[in-house]
Amino acid sequence: MAEPELLLDSNIRLWVVLPIVFITFLVGVIRHYVSILLQSDKKLTLEQVSDSQVLIRSRILRENGKYIPKQSFLMRKFYFNNQEDGFFKKTKRKVVPPSPMTDPSMLTDMMKGNVTNVLPMILIGGWINWTFSGFVTTKVPFPLTLRFKPMLQQGIELLSLDASWVSSASWYFLNVFGLRSMYSLILGQDNGADQSRIMQEQMSGAAMAMPADTNKAFKAEWEALELTDHQWALESVEDELMSRELDLDGMFSKELPTGIF
Amino acid sequence: MASVSELYDVGWEEMRDKLRKWREDNCRNSEQIVDVGEELISEHGSKLGDDIWIIYEQVMIAALDCSRDDLALTCLQELRKQFPDSHRVKRLSGMRLEALERYDEANKHYDAILQDDPTNTAARKRKISILKAQGKSAEAIRELNEYLEHEAVSVLYQSAPCFPCDFHSYGKAAFCLEELMMTNPHNHLYCEQYAEVKYTQGGLENLELSRKYFAQALRLNNRNMRALFGLYMSASHIAASPKVGAKVKKDNMKYAAWAATQINRAYKLAGRGTKENKCSVKAVEEMLESMQITMS
Repeated sequence: MAEPELLLDSNIRLWVVLPIVFITFLVGVIRHYVSILLQSDKKLTLEQVSDSQVLIRSRILRENGKYIPKQSFLMRKFYFNNQEDGFFKKTKRKVVPPSPMTDPSMLTDMMKGNVTNVLPMILIGGWINWTFSGFVTTKVPFPLTLRFKPMLQQGIELLSLDASWVSSASWYFLNVFGLRSMYSLILGQDNGADQSRIMQEQMSGAAMAMPADTNKAFKAEWEALELTDHQWALESVEDELMSRELDLDGMFSKELPTGIF
Repeated sequence: MASVSELYDVGWEEMRDKLRKWREDNCRNSEQIVDVGEELISEHGSKLGDDIWIIYEQVMIAALDCSRDDLALTCLQELRKQFPDSHRVKRLSGMRLEALERYDEANKHYDAILQDDPTNTAARKRKISILKAQGKSAEAIRELNEYLEHEAVSVLYQSAPCFPCDFHSYGKAAFCLEELMMTNPHNHLYCEQYAEVKYTQGGLENLELSRKYFAQALRLNNRNMRALFGLYMSASHIAASPKVGAKVKKDNMKYAAWAATQINRAYKLAGRGTKENKCSVKAVEEMLESMQITMS
């Protein structure tokens, strides 16, 4: 089907498309540095550190317990998991799950996140819409239904125009998401300009388990440790060892590496 | 004395990369670090950029090891100028005071750091090393225990076995070594040390354990001669014990015989090409005979 191919003024390319790209990119970079400046210091308490260490110890016991004698393994398992006395059973940390409303530091963090990310996006989106209005900017390569028209063609009052032709505001939004990979290239991973990631986090944040909830972590660790059994890796080590001669090659070679380089 | 770069014909980039490799591998070859690092800093300091700070730290610690107080002081002063409020630099000044044996002042430094940041592990470790250096082993052990309640840092456990062995509390040493074995299961040295502790503790069960762990150490590293001798000793000890059954005795004699042949092989390889070859092999055999535990 022959769509009438609109020929756009090349000035549009020069003065609209490229400036929007630059603006988006620079705003992203600025956002990244601002977020670094505003980052609040997370101070760990001694208790948190020791808790995380205990969890690490228990995990190592589960993974590598087979290298120590059975008696020692059982002793450690008993220390952690004993019914009355075990560490995981006995220790109940007073943890108030930090809900966004009550915990002040979380509140400020959220506010900062909002200010640095959402607000500029809205402001700049609106400004671009106002500045670069009244003309078509670009065409998306896939066909769209007519229902997208009011969303993507803000400011262009043409009923018959194909919905694939979009205005500059939608080009701006395309850029915001598209430049994400550019940011990773230039600013490294975990950069503050990565808006879509932040929005994803905010959406799933409500369902995410708080890492500060040590009681749950202890319970999970207790269950996991209960299930582990001791399979001694050294059962038949002598026979394995003596099945062949020792490899003493090169043990007494004359050439010893000397010097630094 | 010719400089490092002339001696080995390397450029400054190679020297810098070598220092980085040593940093990442945690090597403690202090004399080499001092040689390479000193030249790198003095001749090529401007080319290093931001790397220079971490090289200052590395060279300073190596200089303290080699008693080069002048070099250590220069590095420390540069670091202090650049990072005036840093805990890391404070710890380095504490270390220098330790090297000068001004332990009280060093302790004050570390206490200041800990007051600011109670979770700072580096400062705690240095305090314990001060106690160790002063010879106050009992206090050091107490502090170590307290510290271990808070964090089970595997590095600490490495220094821990030497304390209990000094005091003949081999049970505690065994515990520390078990922790180390769990965190580094493929390190043959821990297995061997553990086996030696078990052998020293004595008793049939411990001897069997020690034999197993000597064998494990050998399996991890075929060239561990100490483990080989240990295997021979523990196996012959068990075989000579009056309490064991016939099968166990037979098994252990087999192990001991195997260990003896391996020892002979090793000594043959060692003495290859020398005239005293035959004599040394005979000496080894005699030694093995004499080490046999006989029933008394």
